[in-house]
Amino acid sequence: MAPPAQSQRSQSPSQPSGKSEVSDLKHQLRQLAGSRAPGVDDSKRELFKKVISYMTIGIDVSSLFGEMVMCSATSDIVLKKMCYLYVGNYAKVNPDLALLTINFLQRDCHDEDPMIRGLALRSLCSLRVANLVEYLVGPLGSGLKDSNSYVRTVAVVGVLKLYHISASTCVDADFPSMLKHLMLNDSDTQIVANCLSALQEIWSAEASTSEEAAREREALISKPFIYYLLNRIKEFSEWAQCLVLELVTKYVPSDSSEIFDIMNLLEDRLQHANGAVVLATVKVFLQLTLSMTDVHQQVYERIKAPLLTLVSSGSPEQSYAVLSHLHLLVMRAPYVFSSDYKHFYCQYNEPSYVKRLKLEMLTAVANESNTYEIVTELCEYAANVDIPIARESIRAVGKIALQQYDVNAIVDRLLQFLEMEKDYVTAEALVLVKDLLRKYPQWSHDCIAVVGNISSKNVQEPKAKAALIWMLGEYSQDMQDAPYILESLVENWDEEHSAEVRLHLLTAVMKCFFKRPPETQSALGAALAAGIGDFHQDVHDRALFYYRILRYNVSVAERVVNPPKQAVSVFADTQSSEIKDRIFDEFNSLSVLYQKPSYMFTDKEHRGPLEFADELGNLSIGEAAHNVISSQRVEENDKDLLLTTAEKEETRGSSNNGSVYAVPYDSSTSVFASQTQIESAISNPTTAGHSQHASFGIDDLLGLGMPAVPDVASPPQLKLNTKAALDPNAFQQKWRQLPVALSQELSLSPQAVAALTVPQALLRHMQSHSIHCIASGGQSPNFKFFFFAQKYEEPSNYLVECIINTTSAKAQVKIKADNQSTSQAFSTLFELALSKFGTP
Amino acid sequence: MPPLMGIEFLCRVSDVLSDYLGGLNEDVIKDNFVIVYELLDEMIDNGFPLTTEPNILREMIAPPNIVSKVLSVVTGNSSNVSDTLPGATGSCIPWRAADPKYANNEVYVDLVEEMDAVINRDGALVKCEVYGEVRVNSHLSGLPDLTLSFANPSILDDVRFHPCVRFRPWESHQILSFVPPDGEFKLMSYRVKKLKSTPIYVKPQLSSDAGKCRVNVLVGIRNDHGKTIDSITLQFQLPPCILSADLTSNTGTVNILGNKTCSWSIGRIPKDKTPSLSGTLVLESELERLHVFPTFRVGFKIMGVALSGLQIDKLDLKTAPSRLYKGFRALTRAGEFEVRS
Repeated sequence: MAPPAQSQRSQSPSQPSGKSEVSDLKHQLRQLAGSRAPGVDDSKRELFKKVISYMTIGIDVSSLFGEMVMCSATSDIVLKKMCYLYVGNYAKVNPDLALLTINFLQRDCHDEDPMIRGLALRSLCSLRVANLVEYLVGPLGSGLKDSNSYVRTVAVVGVLKLYHISASTCVDADFPSMLKHLMLNDSDTQIVANCLSALQEIWSAEASTSEEAAREREALISKPFIYYLLNRIKEFSEWAQCLVLELVTKYVPSDSSEIFDIMNLLEDRLQHANGAVVLATVKVFLQLTLSMTDVHQQVYERIKAPLLTLVSSGSPEQSYAVLSHLHLLVMRAPYVFSSDYKHFYCQYNEPSYVKRLKLEMLTAVANESNTYEIVTELCEYAANVDIPIARESIRAVGKIALQQYDVNAIVDRLLQFLEMEKDYVTAEALVLVKDLLRKYPQWSHDCIAVVGNISSKNVQEPKAKAALIWMLGEYSQDMQDAPYILESLVENWDEEHSAEVRLHLLTAVMKCFFKRPPETQSALGAALAAGIGDFHQDVHDRALFYYRILRYNVSVAERVVNPPKQAVSVFADTQSSEIKDRIFDEFNSLSVLYQKPSYMFTDKEHRGPLEFADELGNLSIGEAAHNVISSQRVEENDKDLLLTTAEKEETRGSSNNGSVYAVPYDSSTSVFASQTQIESAISNPTTAGHSQHASFGIDDLLGLGMPAVPDVASPPQLKLNTKAALDPNAFQQKWRQLPVALSQELSLSPQAVAALTVPQALLRHMQSHSIHCIASGGQSPNFKFFFFAQKYEEPSNYLVECIINTTSAKAQVKIKADNQSTSQAFSTLFELALSKFGTP
Repeated sequence: MPPLMGIEFLCRVSDVLSDYLGGLNEDVIKDNFVIVYELLDEMIDNGFPLTTEPNILREMIAPPNIVSKVLSVVTGNSSNVSDTLPGATGSCIPWRAADPKYANNEVYVDLVEEMDAVINRDGALVKCEVYGEVRVNSHLSGLPDLTLSFANPSILDDVRFHPCVRFRPWESHQILSFVPPDGEFKLMSYRVKKLKSTPIYVKPQLSSDAGKCRVNVLVGIRNDHGKTIDSITLQFQLPPCILSADLTSNTGTVNILGNKTCSWSIGRIPKDKTPSLSGTLVLESELERLHVFPTFRVGFKIMGVALSGLQIDKLDLKTAPSRLYKGFRALTRAGEFEVRS
């Protein structure tokens, strides 16, 4: 064995340091190699330790290979383990050494001690050298048949390792079917679990090329196999239980009694000490009951307590992970958690990532009954030492204000923030007051009184300054000194570094001018002059546009810049419900933590091992990807904005109501046209989206934060409540009472028929159009659905019975409505929603 | 991948390592890297967790404690790895080693509770709940089958069990029936929500004007449990806008640490007076009043009582050996107990 070591030394590229130590070690090892004296193992161990510590700090000790192998001819397991570690480390980079190793490891694979057999086999499979796979097949084959379960466990994982080195060798040796046999027959659950995990990986990878593998993969979620696992679930280790539970979520039970059986069987898993098991069980429960609305609600109630306990016990990382999942659930069912809001109160020494998520939770669970307490609590955080959290909590107060009907108390609180004399509190509060005013103009009087007292000199942050300026322009008739404040701001034009603020300033001065012309005239002139001379393209363009439109006709200018406004009813949601549903489908995975579906952050080849290709999934990827692209486009940069608006104009068609920018204007350069839209977007805030993540300002003003859904057909005038709720009894009662308003037969597109494999597919789709399902059932080709929808901000319900036959591609629709007069509009909406089903 | 699986596994690795090495830091790992490597090798293979039960690991890889060192000197057997494979890998009770033998059969049950409470600016109790654990330390021969019952199980809000606990007896009669692992383990954890009062009160008062802030904090016992409250401490972070602080107390010691953390250790509350902390804070020059208020974190310990009121009724062993020693203890600590000012 010595000569190869010699040659190794010359080959080894560098021996940065410790050269003499290495040769010293070599010498000592050689002395010990043949010795059989008592206590020799101890001195060997010391030497081995040294070798490995050299190895870990980066000294090349590969020249000791021969000696190491010779010394490891011992029964001492620790020595063996160290030797395996050494060998494993060098074999990867040095195939010649690996070849030597094989011999030595193969011999150990036949050792009488099962521990050594196992360890040797594990090391052998971990070499990962492609040209040595032929030597793996034999030991693996006998390992799988070994009488000791430890060796079998190792061998199973070894098969998977072999598969990754050389898939064809693994399949040719017929290992998958051996694993299958073990999985179904072995008494040791750890082996069953390892087989399951290995086969999932192997068959998923093979499924694309081999029909048989695809069939086998399907068989993993067949009833007998799932029951085989479930009946033994308590014998599995906690990690294996997670694996089994994950598999169960893919299983589609044939009827509801089966669902209840599974849930009864798994109920105690919710009390498992391991959080991973609890969360996996929660996923099973949620997925199983998706189509059973009542039971689904009960499941929420049932899983609530275990999840909340997981949040409050355990590491902050665990709290964060569980909170992310709770957040997802809260978005789907806020009322379930509304009484548990105290669990989301922040603790003083929690890390800020947990606090932030808790603030989001508090925002989400706020409703009429708990708002007062939550806002009181949030206000205490505003005085928090942790400034980012203080900011977040003020924002949270604002968000709650925007989603509540009774904002009385909240507005007072916000106004108190303004009086706190802390710059960051004032800044956040200003932004919020502005948003609040866009939604509740009736509060302007109270707010303006307080805002008027704020000196613009104390406000430095661009967003806050922009908000203040917007209010100055918008409410200049109510604020005594608005023109003068604006004037002083215009005087300091050059010191204003943020283009966003300058843009706002221009518009505000314009608005002020229309309201109080004599006082503002000079400021307007100065602002336009400064704006036209501005080096920032957008500021320059807007100033020029204002100048020209004023010259053309002042009253037209007023109609463009300062038309009467409607209050914003809903600020656009940043994430489409489709994406949210995708994330929900990927419950208990990193998708929930990242708040993105997995396709957004993984490469295609790394998607989960059991990603079953369901057509619905693929289709929705298409649509979601479109959204991503459009929102990326939005964020590109200011210069592209004009172009983007023009493009959006084409796609969105008449969704801007087409009222304002039909200004007769002959010299309509492209700049002009899009500038008009900017103004129309400002002036018509219903279309202006409020994006939470992107910066306020340009994006926001232009309404680009809203995910673009290509609406080619003219959008119906009817608005539906996205968060409609109706309990099943109320539904039944209404259905009995109301007459049929409309009854029609719709035909389905072939894509829709293809996508409708299970009722859930359509439910999710319709939900994204604010049409909610209350009950569904049936199997291909006949499905029956009961949908309901609510008119926005009115308790007016629409009930729908929809019977779909996929073979004839027809849908029988019966619509009943509280308000008969709007049922035709709703019918159009429903038809439109249905027609989009299945189209990407 | 399931995120909690990763987190739980990492926590488990850290538990096992600190269990083996008596602590977990860079030096300890460097000194014992062979053991660390051996453990990791058994705990995870190809990215999937394998054996994580400490009892079984201990049979596969002996911990580097003094006993085993002494043993190796005496017996001359230098290996810290047992020669035979652990029986439990094949046994149907994975958490229990094959067949331990003890001369003295003992089992100790500890109730360890932590009280989390938030008291808001107005002195109202916003949230008060107890997180508790039932810790069992068992040294029993053979395969003991234990049952543990509580006098008042109905107060428990949410429970989580060690895998050894059978679910059905709990579901029907709230009885914990289990075959314990050997040694110390956490049998169950629970929460008791909506408690009405805290054992001690903390009343901070801050009033500021003209660039100074007067602080006065009172601490006292609210309702007597008949047990002494030990190691009372109070900690708070001085806001960054404070230039200097002069704080004194009539009991215990006050320290202001480098990072502007003020810590007041009171210990036991004396019979004759109410501990109080008072003094002034000097604010930054341009500030008139204090806008940022500190949160006081309270620590205490009460031996011999579980504040949730949970009581153990009895502990029985089926197939009782000749002598069995049973011990019970209770302890309540402050968890996240905070008082806002």
